[in-house]
Amino acid sequence: MTLPNQPAEQVADDWSASIGAGDEDVARIVAEIRANVARKMEAGAYRDLRIAQAERHNLRNLRDDEQFLRFYLECLHEAAAVDINDFEIRERRRWGGRLLVAVKKSLWHLLKFYTYRLWSQQNQVNGLLVTALESVDEKYRRRIAALEQRLAALESGSGEGESACPRPGA
Amino acid sequence: MSAARRIAFVCPRFAEHGTVGGAETLLRQMAERAAAAGRQVVFLTTCATDHFSWANAVPPGARRLTDNFEVRFFPVDPRRDISAFLRAQNLIDRGAAYSTDDEQVWLRNSVNSSALYSYLREEGREYDRIVMGPYLFGLTYFAARLHPDRTMLVPCLHDENFARVRAFGEMFRSVRGIIFNSAPERDLARRLYGVPAERTWVVGMGLDPFDADPERFRRRHGLTMPYLLYAGRREAGKGVPLLLDYLDLYRKLNQGDLRLVLLGGGSVPLPPDLAPAVVDAGFVSEEDKQSAMAGAAVFCQPSTNESFSIVLLEAWLAGAPALVHAACAVTTHHCRRSGGGLWFMTYAEFEAELRLLLEHADLRRRLGAAGRAYVQREYRWPVILARFLEALDHSGE
Repeated sequence: MTLPNQPAEQVADDWSASIGAGDEDVARIVAEIRANVARKMEAGAYRDLRIAQAERHNLRNLRDDEQFLRFYLECLHEAAAVDINDFEIRERRRWGGRLLVAVKKSLWHLLKFYTYRLWSQQNQVNGLLVTALESVDEKYRRRIAALEQRLAALESGSGEGESACPRPGA
Repeated sequence: MSAARRIAFVCPRFAEHGTVGGAETLLRQMAERAAAAGRQVVFLTTCATDHFSWANAVPPGARRLTDNFEVRFFPVDPRRDISAFLRAQNLIDRGAAYSTDDEQVWLRNSVNSSALYSYLREEGREYDRIVMGPYLFGLTYFAARLHPDRTMLVPCLHDENFARVRAFGEMFRSVRGIIFNSAPERDLARRLYGVPAERTWVVGMGLDPFDADPERFRRRHGLTMPYLLYAGRREAGKGVPLLLDYLDLYRKLNQGDLRLVLLGGGSVPLPPDLAPAVVDAGFVSEEDKQSAMAGAAVFCQPSTNESFSIVLLEAWLAGAPALVHAACAVTTHHCRRSGGGLWFMTYAEFEAELRLLLEHADLRRRLGAAGRAYVQREYRWPVILARFLEALDHSGE
């Protein structure tokens, strides 16, 4: 994989040396790959909008995967801002190249004038939406963690108090 | 009890051409093998060949294929309320709230054949067993209600919203026995419908081993580089759009000229950047299919809705290693048991596993060989036929 922050060779090679001869334990291979991918996700290796887009047909399968939701939100965060800055305008054709560049630049300035308001509003909406999603996610994560803690405490409490409850037939 | 001498099979389509699905192929194969084992077999089906329009395409009537194997074609009922059907189907598919009336509207406007029901109502008692499937159609549902005490269901069940239709729960609980293709499919049915274990059988389908020339398909299509193979219907439900997106991105993020070969029918739009790397071979002969499988670097089954996956087992017979979607309990189960494939849940896993396989030819060979050994061990026809006939002969005891 050739992501900007991840040399291609590292993705598979740092663990695939353990693939040995003889009968393959495919469950072990998959588990190693998953652990490796999880480590790299944690390090930000797959934080690429294209990867999030490639999962558009897979969301139904991933909806229960807590780690993936966090990753998806990170990708959204990265992608929320539409780039509305100027960019370099080039022309490969030699004949009339300069003229074409000048025409394209004027067209871009015209377009920019009319679309700037639209795109900046879109950026605001995108940013607000991602922030809201992240807040909701964080809020429910905290709430679930608190509930789990409370449940665990109640369960351990009832375990201790078990002898106090009359047993059926006792 | 004594052996089931006279057996009727009921299926919406009869697998005569390469365009039918796995369930139809499975039922036809079972019927043929049962006939070859000396049982009297009648295959009851409709005149339709297309599972979208259900238009009557074959003339009604009987056709005798061998001395003890006859196929009877019945016309599909002409009056289907398509818009009511689609409305109900949409509700069910989305997992929205729907009533039992909606379920009945959906089933009544699915494929049905009053002529087939009449035949079965009058002649059904002549058969010791009536084997029918797949579960998803009105034809199976209404036919199963006629003689449930003789009916053996071959549901080809998937974990999908349609499986949660209450009417199907009633069907599964009322029939004499249910023949599953795999243990995960049986477990799903037990979870969904509470079917008692003693009425369930895991059989599957047999496959004949073959030796294929890996170069034949490559030569024909001028393929000198490695390719990933998908074979089957090109539908969203089969995970094809996911595979196309994944492979498109894989090619952008990785070096090497990996191609995608598609076998089978259907239409799914190709990502523009991927299109030049796709060899769309469409429907091919059995020999070409086997050669394409033998020559593939990797066979991919991205579907999460499989009850057996004949094509995965065929790819293993050809010696190809497999990549399957981890959300499919059945294909993952095959991979775990065989050691013939890896499973992915996300793009990142798909990419790492595909790279691993492409970079390790020896690993590919070993996985392919393990897959082939698994199919030859578990899915030889004599073993499968014995399991199938045992289910028919001893169900209900």
